[in-house]
Amino acid sequence: MDTRRTEQLTAWAFLTPALVVLVGFGLFPIGYAFYVSLHKWRIKKEALIGFEHYVRALGDPQHLVFLLLGVGIVWAAYRLRSHLLERGLPSAYVYLAWGILLLPGLWVLFELGLNGLAATGDPALYNGFKVTFFYAIGTIPLQLSLATGLAYLLFKSMRAKGTFRILFFLPYVTPVIASAVVFRTIFSPHPSSLANRFWSTFGFENQRWLYESKSVVALFLQGVGMETWPTWVDSCFPSMALTSIILYNIWVYVGYDTVILLAGLSAIPRHYYEAAEMDGANGWQVFRHITLPLVSPTLFFLSMVAVIGTFKAFNHIYIMRTPGARESVDVLSVAIFDQIFEFHNAGYASAMAFVLFVAILVLTLLQNQVLGKRVFYGD
Amino acid sequence: MAIKGGKTWLVYGGLGLGGLAAGFPFAWMLLASFMTRGESLRRVFLPESLQWGNYLKAWQEADFGLYFENSLIIAVIQVSGTLLFSLLAAYPLARMEFRGRDTVFAGVLATLMIPETVTIVPNFLTITWLHRNMPFAWLNNWPAMTIPFMASAFSIFLLRQFMRGIPNELWDSARIDGAGHVRFLFQILLPLCRAPLLTVGMFTYIGSWNALAWPLLVTNTPDWRPISVGLQQFVSEAGAEVHLQMAGAVIATVPVLLAYFLIQREFTEGISMSGLKG
Amino acid sequence: MKLKNGIAGVLCAVLSACGGQQETTQEQQTDIETLNPEGQEVVFWYQHTREREEALQKLIADFNQSNSHGISVRGEYVGRYGDIYNKMNVGIQSGSLAASLVVAYQNQAMAYYQADGIVDIMPYMESSKWGFSPEERQDYVQAFLRQDNVGGAQIGFPPNRSMELLYYNLDWLRELGYDKPPANWDEFAKMCRLAKQRPFSKSKDTSRSLGFLLDIDTSRLAAMVFSRGGDLVNADGTAYLLDSPEVRAALELMRELLAAGVIDVAGEQDAELNEFVTGQILFSQDSSSGLPFYKSGIEDSGLDFEWGVTHPPQTGETPVVDIYGASVSICASTPEQQLAAWLFLKWLTAPEQQARWVRASNYFPVRKSTAKELQGYFAENPHYGVAFSMLDYGKSEPTIASYQQVRRLIQKAMVEAIEGENMDQVLANLQLAANKTIEQ
Repeated sequence: MDTRRTEQLTAWAFLTPALVVLVGFGLFPIGYAFYVSLHKWRIKKEALIGFEHYVRALGDPQHLVFLLLGVGIVWAAYRLRSHLLERGLPSAYVYLAWGILLLPGLWVLFELGLNGLAATGDPALYNGFKVTFFYAIGTIPLQLSLATGLAYLLFKSMRAKGTFRILFFLPYVTPVIASAVVFRTIFSPHPSSLANRFWSTFGFENQRWLYESKSVVALFLQGVGMETWPTWVDSCFPSMALTSIILYNIWVYVGYDTVILLAGLSAIPRHYYEAAEMDGANGWQVFRHITLPLVSPTLFFLSMVAVIGTFKAFNHIYIMRTPGARESVDVLSVAIFDQIFEFHNAGYASAMAFVLFVAILVLTLLQNQVLGKRVFYGD
Repeated sequence: MAIKGGKTWLVYGGLGLGGLAAGFPFAWMLLASFMTRGESLRRVFLPESLQWGNYLKAWQEADFGLYFENSLIIAVIQVSGTLLFSLLAAYPLARMEFRGRDTVFAGVLATLMIPETVTIVPNFLTITWLHRNMPFAWLNNWPAMTIPFMASAFSIFLLRQFMRGIPNELWDSARIDGAGHVRFLFQILLPLCRAPLLTVGMFTYIGSWNALAWPLLVTNTPDWRPISVGLQQFVSEAGAEVHLQMAGAVIATVPVLLAYFLIQREFTEGISMSGLKG
Repeated sequence: MKLKNGIAGVLCAVLSACGGQQETTQEQQTDIETLNPEGQEVVFWYQHTREREEALQKLIADFNQSNSHGISVRGEYVGRYGDIYNKMNVGIQSGSLAASLVVAYQNQAMAYYQADGIVDIMPYMESSKWGFSPEERQDYVQAFLRQDNVGGAQIGFPPNRSMELLYYNLDWLRELGYDKPPANWDEFAKMCRLAKQRPFSKSKDTSRSLGFLLDIDTSRLAAMVFSRGGDLVNADGTAYLLDSPEVRAALELMRELLAAGVIDVAGEQDAELNEFVTGQILFSQDSSSGLPFYKSGIEDSGLDFEWGVTHPPQTGETPVVDIYGASVSICASTPEQQLAAWLFLKWLTAPEQQARWVRASNYFPVRKSTAKELQGYFAENPHYGVAFSMLDYGKSEPTIASYQQVRRLIQKAMVEAIEGENMDQVLANLQLAANKTIEQ
């Protein structure tokens, strides 16, 4: 009893220095942002307006209720499915029941919930969400697969390991203000920009890169000679400008991911490989069934960091944003910045930031639930 | 792990391609930094002769000497502080049973999730208050530059992962010898943590080296400003002197690269030993 | 004791740091005349770096030496405009604003003023003891002063201004059969088309030869609209007027020339400057503060051609040019300190100091009599002299509080227009969206 008390006290004593700093400089700002968001607030506090900013940002609350309801139904559908399957019911019935619940759930979620919100809320916020989503989807999978590939190659190589490690890490240590300026020049619409020179060696037409608000798919259609396309082609894919920024982001973080993954690879005990070799597994099989599962914790960690990172990404996007890109690169953090620095509206900006905070939180939890379960933590 | 002869070219081909992609913007930067202004205006690829003078000019005009010194001092303070705080916090989170542990850990992670744009104001308010109520100056001084970042959630997370991987037998035998948590942490765990600590130190160092908006906010004079501020003055200044900007950027990058080069072996090891298990 | 204070302090910080408890000094300004600025310290926050900062620091040192009140000014570089806004923002919120003078764009000054972070300068200007004599006051370019006057309050004071200029490559124009810059926009268009056909003989890369680069920036468009006799606001300056024939004409010409491939969009930092000095574009429309960079750029590029500056092509009898620039505001502090800040500002804008500042910065002075001090400088820098002579044609961009927001809307419309969207629609949307910002 007494030792348990001492244990508790010791634990808290160890935590205290870090917690004081984290509460003071990490949690207090979150609370403060919430407080600010409830007020009309330019530079100083003006009037208390409650949740008005949230309604303005998110849209009609009734749609929010629908959204939550939809999420609830979908969640219930999943629970029901696994529950029924556990009971050993024939899977055809289970999937029928599941479908009956899931489809209306999705409809409520997307049509009544999300669509309704987007129609009544702030277009800048929803555009921000959309762009942020494109940005995350565009960077994370590609970045992680490239890094996994490179790390695997690096792991297999015997010579020049150090040189490559330095080379791959270079982008990460270059100050963002410098490298983003370099990329802005590389991806400029000028006919002799590096991107255009590279592009034209394949016989393609010059592109406007960071100045192009059209979606990459629309540009592709244009390239193959089509003249018109449905509007969703433009709205459901990232713009060329955003794609250029995605390339920059991948460039910066692939090396960082590679270095960390390489460490994960080096930690895999040799006997796994030896056993596989004895079983006569080929290279791909080894990679798929031994390497990948064993680095999955590292990959999971990197994907968590990447999700949080892409949702908060700001500096390089701000530097590489051009008027030509219109709002096609305005991720949420850029929209928040605009509200503070261009429109001097700290109250509303804080509400947007708080929405972003909740979004990241939910996403991280989801990721933990969905992906976290598939991570292989060894024997 | 040996590879069968025929596939060597594939491995090095892939690596070479990756290396090229990773290295060429930096190479471009490097080349541009050696050009005359005329060459950079004409968009040539290679400078005719290397203009070392660009570096001298950038160094003098941006007052890099002073900023370098500041950045180094700040980095040393911040890295040591972060290491100490994170080590202390990671230990109970990884190896002790106490009520509220999961809540604390979740709270630590939550601090990662709010954009800096909105934390900057409340954090400045806190610093101002501390500046007024503490016996030493915070603004225009190292505390404001370093202390707010000393308990980085990322560092705590990484160290915690590492400590969870350390066998329990170590602790059991230490306890039999009569060691408490403090002694166990500093005498037994600390030497084992060398590599992950270097890793955390490296990331902290990079972060502190590249910080920009916050240092400008809490300083009014160059006395405590880091190198990124010097670089920004240079990069944003009118006149489009790309060659000088790039020279400045290279100057600001080299120290980080050097540090990484020196510790990279252990740095990689540090991550590998943490195993990053959940 | 300390701890108790601490807890109370934290609560205070949380609940009321921004609650407007900060004393404003407006009421005390009535007795400006009896104030004594003796020995005050004034901190001046600015964004200038390198040569400009050096010159400013020298001026400040001279003021500290020479002023009879023992006022000491300290100039501090605190980052770019965004960084300065950050510092003002937190300074005002925490009630510990460290500056007495701050460089600010008008919309920023407006936000500071609303939060009681800066004070109205008018009482100082009008003070019989510390203010201007009627002659002095008349010596200021009145339009500049008006740019910072919002509802009768002078929230900023102009230390300098810049002008939107047309830079032209005279050697190239001669090759194309002209001996002077375009008199009107039709001629400008014709010259651009010719430039596309006949690259500049001295250019080292003739594969790119264009008339002009359009930077998607509101001041570029404003200058084009002004030069056509138009404006961005209605006659009394209370509402935006952006679907006017002049805005339409400006956008349509750019769209037409872009479609014809004789001009391009400026896609890099300082693109106009870089391509102008390398002989790839015939004209560049840019700020007068870029004059020294154009000069050195042409030397560095090795092309060494004859060039000139003038006002953008005009449509009416007299040209109209766009004049803009950030001002300096006096931060709310003690009455004595505010007065001391004012005295420095007044000194800084006096002709003698203005002349020195102009030489270092290439900005325009804000007092007309500075011209006398600058005769030698005009001779050395004829292009500057030409630009200076056009100050009388100056017109300023809107002074409506929401203008910063509208600038963004205008840029958006520029992109839409040049990308070929329906012009009626673009302008109608712009007009609607812009005036909506006034309501908010």
